[in-house]
Amino acid sequence: MAKAIYEGLKFRYKTTVIHRLDPRVKMLLSIVLFALALLGFNFYQEIITFVLVAVPATLAKSLKRLMRVVALSITFGVFVVAINLLAGGTVVESIVLAVRFLEIVASTSLFFVTTSPDELEYVLRWFRMPRDFVFAFATSIRFVPVLLMDLTQIIDAQKSRGLELDRGGPIKRIRNLVPVLIPLIVNSLVRSGELAEAMESRGYGAVKKPTSMDVLRLKINDWAALSLIIPGGALLIWLYIYVI
Amino acid sequence: MPNEVLALEKVNLRVDEGELVAIVGGNGAGKTTLLKHMNGLLKPVTGTVRVKGKPTTESSVAELSKQIGLVFQNSDHQLFSESVKEEVAFGLRNFGFPPSEVEERVARALNAFGLGQMSDRAPLTLSGGEKKRLCIALVTAWDPIVLALDEPTVGQDHLNKVRLLELVRRLIRDKRTVLIVSHDLEFLWPLQPRTVVMSGGRIVADGPAASIFTNFELLESSGLRQPQLARLAVALESPSPFRDVDEAVAWLREKNGPWSSGSQTAFGKG
Repeated sequence: MAKAIYEGLKFRYKTTVIHRLDPRVKMLLSIVLFALALLGFNFYQEIITFVLVAVPATLAKSLKRLMRVVALSITFGVFVVAINLLAGGTVVESIVLAVRFLEIVASTSLFFVTTSPDELEYVLRWFRMPRDFVFAFATSIRFVPVLLMDLTQIIDAQKSRGLELDRGGPIKRIRNLVPVLIPLIVNSLVRSGELAEAMESRGYGAVKKPTSMDVLRLKINDWAALSLIIPGGALLIWLYIYVI
Repeated sequence: MPNEVLALEKVNLRVDEGELVAIVGGNGAGKTTLLKHMNGLLKPVTGTVRVKGKPTTESSVAELSKQIGLVFQNSDHQLFSESVKEEVAFGLRNFGFPPSEVEERVARALNAFGLGQMSDRAPLTLSGGEKKRLCIALVTAWDPIVLALDEPTVGQDHLNKVRLLELVRRLIRDKRTVLIVSHDLEFLWPLQPRTVVMSGGRIVADGPAASIFTNFELLESSGLRQPQLARLAVALESPSPFRDVDEAVAWLREKNGPWSSGSQTAFGKG
């Protein structure tokens, strides 16, 4: 399931109007959609938010993938409904809460689906985050596919030794993960050590303020998008709070 | 689906008991994919893979793995236990061997692979060659009918390759069926296995090593390089392949007469 969610969230290079936007604009769009999803308290608001997420997702030719991620998150949505019902909420309230959760998933996914790890690094640097933190964060995202590949190979290797991950009760299933997790962690630690040595050998940390090959600059399409997102977002938030 | 690739196509392969088969090919030829079909890690979308006549789709990976022992390329993907003996016992317990037999089989497997002295050591502290031997030992411990080795020589130094060669020879003497997936033809040449050449997900040749390894065009088009001894045999027009340097030297001596002990060659004293 983790692999399926990752596949849904993985950045794929496309030349759509959304993909071409400055990553800061894409982040702002996701934040606005996230805020609207959080503020939605009734079905009308939820439907409007859903449409607002679906429009940029369609423009980014990623609606199908986003829906797949949402579909995979439905299990958690059901969990949200169950917890809320147990806590004394009504059925309608519980469903609205679950839909809100799925919209939060969709709005954050929109950013990751349309933003490359490099762009993410530029955004973090633009926020003046410490260089080591930005590097570690961007590298960890870049290494997710490598880790998943390792995970698949380790699972295959242990299954070939008779390990049946889906067998037994909950405790046994958790114990079954030990032969998978230990090699995964050990390999990751070894790889991170090797990467650190390789980076140092290539001059990482040699100067305090290294130069950057690319600098973020807003273009006309970014300003156009901002002129829609900022007033539109502010208006919708006001409407969500005071009118609808 | 647009992003999916056909990893194997029109593959027709039968391996009989006691055979030594090498599956060779360049990167991405489909060798490991083929191997993973044999113990059910991958199931065919079309066509059938049978183990002892039974389609793999009718058995679980665990059931098939008891018959087809697969040793993976990366030893570090397999080792996790606190001690070498526990590592070997893991598979045996999974396959339901009784405790007394587990102990006996662990000891036998470790001694057979020269790891008896290391039974209490942590597997992660072993050298690359020792880890590889342990990975083979832990699979042979449950006596699978087929032992399949995926790229066994990757990351191994010369001495470890020689040890591996001896291990494979011993397995063949014990009448085991051995499958070796590799692109290291220098390693395979002395074993003279039945050789299956793969390229682009298809089997492009299947025959004795002596004929396959001396076919320069076939190997070149499959992204492989002829072993040096095969090239030498072809260049010298030898009627049979040289399994090792000693055989080549003996043949040359027989052909050209005995060399004088003081004669110089391009490589030093002859």
